[in-house]
Amino acid sequence: MTPALALAQQSAAVEVGSGSNAFLEGLVAALGAYLPMWALWLGAAVTGVAIVMGLISLIAMFSVWLERKVAGHIQCRYGPMYVGWHGWLQSIADGVKLLLKEDMIPRDADRVLFMLAPALVLAAIVAAMAAYPLAPGVFFADIDLGVFFVIAMSSMTTIGVVMAGWASNSKWTVFGAMREAAQVVAYEIPLGVALLVPVMVAGTLNMREASEMQSGWYGMGWFMFKNPFMLPAFVLYFIAALAETKRAPFDLPEAESELVAGFMTEYSGIRWSFFFMEEYAAMFLMSALAAVFFLGGFESPLTWAAGEFFGRELFVKGASGATELNLQAIPYHAVAGLTLLVKSFAGIFLMMWLRWTLPRVRVDQVMTMGYKYLTPLALVCAIGAALWEAGKQALLG
Amino acid sequence: MQQTETAQGYVKNIWDSVKTTLVGMKITWRYMLQKPITVQYPDERMPIPDRYRGIHYLEQEKCINCLACARACPIDCIEMEAVRHGKELEWISFTLDYQKCMFCELCVYPCPKDCIHMGTEYAFVTFDRSEFKHDLLSFKGMAREARIRMKEAEAKKAAKEAAKAAGVKVEDSKAEEGDGE
Repeated sequence: MTPALALAQQSAAVEVGSGSNAFLEGLVAALGAYLPMWALWLGAAVTGVAIVMGLISLIAMFSVWLERKVAGHIQCRYGPMYVGWHGWLQSIADGVKLLLKEDMIPRDADRVLFMLAPALVLAAIVAAMAAYPLAPGVFFADIDLGVFFVIAMSSMTTIGVVMAGWASNSKWTVFGAMREAAQVVAYEIPLGVALLVPVMVAGTLNMREASEMQSGWYGMGWFMFKNPFMLPAFVLYFIAALAETKRAPFDLPEAESELVAGFMTEYSGIRWSFFFMEEYAAMFLMSALAAVFFLGGFESPLTWAAGEFFGRELFVKGASGATELNLQAIPYHAVAGLTLLVKSFAGIFLMMWLRWTLPRVRVDQVMTMGYKYLTPLALVCAIGAALWEAGKQALLG
Repeated sequence: MQQTETAQGYVKNIWDSVKTTLVGMKITWRYMLQKPITVQYPDERMPIPDRYRGIHYLEQEKCINCLACARACPIDCIEMEAVRHGKELEWISFTLDYQKCMFCELCVYPCPKDCIHMGTEYAFVTFDRSEFKHDLLSFKGMAREARIRMKEAEAKKAAKEAAKAAGVKVEDSKAEEGDGE
């Protein structure tokens, strides 16, 4: 589970759990004679964390731009237009502004918790991001309990949010934090249970393996089409993911028309942007989970074609018996990685589309929806899918 | 979402929420694909109606400093000052205080020479209040043509007087007699 960039052998998928870390191995081979092992390990870990952080920043910046463009066009206006082509550099300008802003801490706030909260939120999402597979053979950490890890880590952010709300010593922030806690508790259950449906079909919690299992039918053997309970499960999962990532119509924790800005009312500058980055990274991760477990992950007809044409093995046994990088397979991995990226951003786009379509629901409506509708429906889906799979096995062997 | 206790109501709630969401998404999708109705303001602007009442503009060459517009102004925001040289005017100022002006167009109607108009410019932002007192003059002092006309008139008058002094009867128009007052 080291968050270092791991380039594992796809051929040896069974052994991957033991942790073959090509980046670390490369470091050892190059610098092993000069540096102690702990320094190399630390270097690999730091590189991995830096790459994850960069990825999160890029995702957040692109998503903010996309959000503003989508919001603009849905409201019949343009959105940012001046900074770069159609304002694509706007997020960088905003980032610079946020970095230069005064960092304010309210006098009566709990200083330690106030400063810790954004760091905790961001740390949790960085940790969760480590489970995101970049390509079939390129990932930060190949975790056997991938889904479990992502959900556990992304619900850790709730603790940071509650911490921020409490530490700010303001009524708005406490209300926001309480709503967040209530909402996440209510929606964790349908989220997990709805994800159980594809997990049951796949028989694995590993994101990369689940993606590999969908490569049939020329790359269209998505879990979505595997049984009739998948579509409702996907819808339930998506609604629960919206609530989990505090997105409209479930943005009660930061309901700007009621609570100023909810739990982030007292935050400014870079600390505030940490919450923002967390929100977009969480959206990305939730969409990526949906893409991997419902919409085929890396697999698409294009990926299948690239795999047939270029070959899929990123690492091959060389003539001398050592594993070597197979340069020919790189286009396949690029296409696969891009496919997952596009699918994840399609999910983000859907979230934005919903945000600018639906009004915010009331607190009691959120609770009603979570407990009375989503949870029982998700359970029905899970049980139905289990019976379906069991029946299929009994009938077809 | 209605609070219904029956099983029928439960199913209906689910159906309604899915259906209404999809209808809303269809509407926003249509809006997203259409061309935005806003314009990129400073670069492009909406067409301005012909009778729009924006910042005034003054045809200074026509103006005769009659003060009709200043008198017509209900809030006395027009002030003008000019020195008369015979028929010609030497302009000192013609200011309009846009802190007071309410763009009622009442100054435009009484003008005998039809020289003050409501323009189409509407956006004026300044860093200082005093800058709202616009000077509508396009030039200060006398117009070049007016100066030439005055010079010519003076020369003509001098020639006439010289001729008169010499006892020569000059057949000149009587219109010139009023000059120099």
